[in-house]
Amino acid sequence: MRQFSELHLDALTEIFSIGAGRAALSLSEIVGDEVRISVPSVQIINAEDINPVTLSLTDTGRFGAVSQHFSGPFNAEALLLFTEDQALKIISDMMGSQMSNEELAEFEHEAMCELGNIILNACLSSMADILNFVLESSLPDYTVASAEEILHRLKKDSSQPYVLVLHIDLAIEKRHTAGNLVFLLSTSSLTNLVTHLDQFLGNIHEQN
Amino acid sequence: MSKIDTKHFDMDNIFNTINLGLIAVDAEGKVLLWNDWIAKHSNIQEADALNQSLENVFAETVSPAFLTALNSTLTHRLPVVLSTALHRSPLPLYNPPKINQPQTRMYQSIAITPIRSQQNESCGLIQITDSSSSIKREKILRSHSEILKKEATTDGLTDICNRRFFDAHYEMAVADAKRQKHYLSIFMIDIDFFKLYNDQYGHLAGDEVIKQVARTLKAQLSRATDIIARYGGEEFVLVMPYLPKKTAEQFAEKLRSAVFNLAIPHIKSPLFKQITISIGICTGIPENDDNLLNTADTALYQAKQKGRNQFISLALCEIEEYLEQ
Repeated sequence: MRQFSELHLDALTEIFSIGAGRAALSLSEIVGDEVRISVPSVQIINAEDINPVTLSLTDTGRFGAVSQHFSGPFNAEALLLFTEDQALKIISDMMGSQMSNEELAEFEHEAMCELGNIILNACLSSMADILNFVLESSLPDYTVASAEEILHRLKKDSSQPYVLVLHIDLAIEKRHTAGNLVFLLSTSSLTNLVTHLDQFLGNIHEQN
Repeated sequence: MSKIDTKHFDMDNIFNTINLGLIAVDAEGKVLLWNDWIAKHSNIQEADALNQSLENVFAETVSPAFLTALNSTLTHRLPVVLSTALHRSPLPLYNPPKINQPQTRMYQSIAITPIRSQQNESCGLIQITDSSSSIKREKILRSHSEILKKEATTDGLTDICNRRFFDAHYEMAVADAKRQKHYLSIFMIDIDFFKLYNDQYGHLAGDEVIKQVARTLKAQLSRATDIIARYGGEEFVLVMPYLPKKTAEQFAEKLRSAVFNLAIPHIKSPLFKQITISIGICTGIPENDDNLLNTADTALYQAKQKGRNQFISLALCEIEEYLEQ
């Protein structure tokens, strides 16, 4: 943890903002309207320090989580979290609201997989491009769970003690939605990430 | 994998038997694999597709989102999914033809994953599933759950709303009236001397009366905002927003006379010798802990005391005055 500086966080915020821009562009193409995604902040925390507040899981309702496993120079389990209500509203906006919320539920699972896949891939591919490495990934999976179940899932694997949290703002048409993108990292994955960030920052430094 | 390949099965045989569309393309998007499922649903044979650019194989256009997704997989080597919800039918694939009906486009779910060829070239594998059967299954489950939901909120005897629905609706109606500061009226309605009716005519006849009264009361409602529920045995409750006290009273009279006009004989009813109802109304703009239901219940009690077959109307604030008397 000590090895991770403000500079690293700034670099990651920058990288993920580029990714968010890519994701917004892809989503705009599907929606046929402007979509804006921003990453106002990035945090690294110990998995054991995770609590409902850090992930905005304070709502009593259920949460939708899109997950993908990434592997390469570093391995990560990535989860994109929205409240289930928000997830349904996003999809309804994306589909042009020709359907009622009940009908939407038929498509919720698959459509959320696609939405999460677009955002996760965009963030990871911009990271891979900028830090100059190649990542592989599993297909996305969508689950609906309570805050408690999600926290349990994030904490249960002691081999992934670090959590990288991106707070995400998504605006489709007039609706603003906030979600969180969480990466679970092992110690060696975090070290590798830092090494790649250092190389990147070193390169920038040399260029200056 | 190689064991299966060489010793047990011909992989082509498996690709062509599988109930799933499989297309593999190279880094330039040229078709390397085109299984029988795809050939059947696209009406394009493998020989006509192989080594062609996927975009040009089809006579019709392929959706731009599909091409973007394919391109993205080939460039970034990350898997992509296209959902039925957001794309419906990205590729010109068709459902099996039905007699005398035009062929319809197939609803598809698509996954595109990066794979490597034996020469280590970057390729993409496109898997297509027909999602119409899963949509149909979802629809069936949904309609079942709607029936169950209706059963859970409907009173079995009278087919009007039950107590459970009323409790939830009442809470929302009060919250709405508080927030928007509008009138809300609660009508508590009770069939007079119902126990005597049951004793005289039997429970089956009693049930019939409850049904008839429920139907008659419900027939008086015309606005979507009004609901009537069976509150308990022979007791009903009505929730109506936006009525000033005077209008609520006129409506109560309409309810009373509608039931009276049914002229259902009840020889044990001391005064009227027929089925009648008593009504307690409470009208007001609820604030804080105001309890319209209790006030309406008090009004109903007064209506009973004063001789039945009538309504008593109280404003929300009147309950203290009554209690002081």
